Amino acid sequence: MGHITTSKTKPFKPIILSCFCMVMLALSLIISLKECKAQVIIGNSSITEDCISKNTLSAIFGMRLHTWPDGTSIKVFVLQDKHPLHIKFAKRRLNIFPHQLRWCWDRLVFSGTGQAPTELSSEDEMRKKVASVPGAIGYLEGPVNDKHIKTFQIK
Amino acid sequence: MTNILKHFKLNNRIFQKKTVFIILILLFTHVLPSFAFEPVDHLQVHGFISQGYIITSDNKFCGNSDNNGSFDFREIGLNASYRPIPSLQISAQALSRFAGENDDGSIRLDYGFMDYSVMDNDSCQWGVRLGRVKTPFGLYNETRDVAVTRPSVFLPQSIYFDRTRDLALSGDGLYLYGEYRTDLGNLFLKLGSGKPRVKDREVENSLLGRNFPGNLDGNISYNGQLLYEKDGGLIRLAFTWAQLNMDYDSSALPPFDIDSGSIKFEPYVFSAQINEERWSLTGEYALRRLKYDDFSYPGIINRVIKGESCYIQGTYNFFEDWQGFVRYDILYSNKDDRNGKKAERPGHPAHSFFAKDLTFGLRWNITESHMLRGEYHYVNGTAWLTSEDNTDRSKTKPYWNMFSILIAYYF
Repeated sequence: MGHITTSKTKPFKPIILSCFCMVMLALSLIISLKECKAQVIIGNSSITEDCISKNTLSAIFGMRLHTWPDGTSIKVFVLQDKHPLHIKFAKRRLNIFPHQLRWCWDRLVFSGTGQAPTELSSEDEMRKKVASVPGAIGYLEGPVNDKHIKTFQIK
Repeated sequence: MTNILKHFKLNNRIFQKKTVFIILILLFTHVLPSFAFEPVDHLQVHGFISQGYIITSDNKFCGNSDNNGSFDFREIGLNASYRPIPSLQISAQALSRFAGENDDGSIRLDYGFMDYSVMDNDSCQWGVRLGRVKTPFGLYNETRDVAVTRPSVFLPQSIYFDRTRDLALSGDGLYLYGEYRTDLGNLFLKLGSGKPRVKDREVENSLLGRNFPGNLDGNISYNGQLLYEKDGGLIRLAFTWAQLNMDYDSSALPPFDIDSGSIKFEPYVFSAQINEERWSLTGEYALRRLKYDDFSYPGIINRVIKGESCYIQGTYNFFEDWQGFVRYDILYSNKDDRNGKKAERPGHPAHSFFAKDLTFGLRWNITESHMLRGEYHYVNGTAWLTSEDNTDRSKTKPYWNMFSILIAYYF
């Protein structure tokens, strides 16, 4: 009896399963494509650099690298710790968890060996600040069309 | 019940006033912004304030904790940093700390130095620091008085014992630092030379057995730390070494004082930490070498004592703002006499030479700048209790419990 049941259902199961897998794969692909597009590292147009390595990006947002190669001061802008874009940025671009990043800044700030980045409350504020402060670096969800802002390539 | 309340009021009248004041400040801070104060470009001001409550079954920790609890644990700090040019930063922090008889809350300069980076590019950085600099020691020492940077209300006392905290806190001198950035991780090196701050009677109590009439002073000392960090802290491995030199100058002839002598304290600390999104695991091991020279007092013979400390600690974030931790922490004053039986003498019971502490705790981040913590300790041994709070050590109990709560604000 058991044998008959399995032989009847057998041809259907793989089809349903593979259909399900394909849908999930397509979905995850769409999501990951969307995420790839998301988050651009932006800087003030005064900066001569176009390309930053992952390591340099970590050192900049870790508040341990203070100057651009031409000697100008780096000014770091971030969104608040719980902002979804900040969480995504920290995890995907810096490979670090937001609470871990906060601990790094606290260690610098309360031992006198560094300063904290400037926190902003919205993406709109981020766009305005990065456009107006020389040497500024920050991040946004999508591409920007502003002559005062440049988008960095990450090596 | 009324009796207990009356007793409690009498004992804590002074502290209560201060505590109410602190709690009012903490409530007031609720309306303040959570981020740093930046009055002008390149100038930042940060600060913190925390208030604790400690209750112990026996023995005293931070005041009269065994007598209906103590509010005498408070930390207040304010710092400013100014970076006029990218390669130069000037920083200073004022700190006031109350901790039973061990710390009276007097305001002091916690650190104050000039930091100049000689070289700063995307692959490496080198620089010097001149002034009063926090000593790199293990993973937590540089910010040990800032509640938000600690994993618990009290740091693991085996390595970060508050008894002789002034020794390890900071030194006045010259420090070199370097950072090397690679795709495999970053390497940090810190080397320093300066005079440690030892003008504290508990340092003398701890190192000489009691506070003698003469002076124990810090001499030129050295320290260094090599730290490896992967992915901004996913893995952290560190080795710390320090050599603290102190001289005892007698102020009277025996039998009124002891002869002059010198003490060399050399700790070696190995630290390892893994930080994942929801959990982290930390372990530190320290070997402490204490060498007495030129002394001729019967109680302080010239010898070398090797102390040993270690702890293992796990934390877990079970909700976004809730974290729990568990830790087991061991301290042996002398690794060749772990149960203290050889060193035991009147006034110094065997259990005052070791401490084993099992701790469970919770942390709640109320807002981005407010934190509430609670923890329970089950301790066997009294090695890290201060003689200032426990004047008669023969009255201390070997097995004791401690519960503490701490509320903090920081910006």
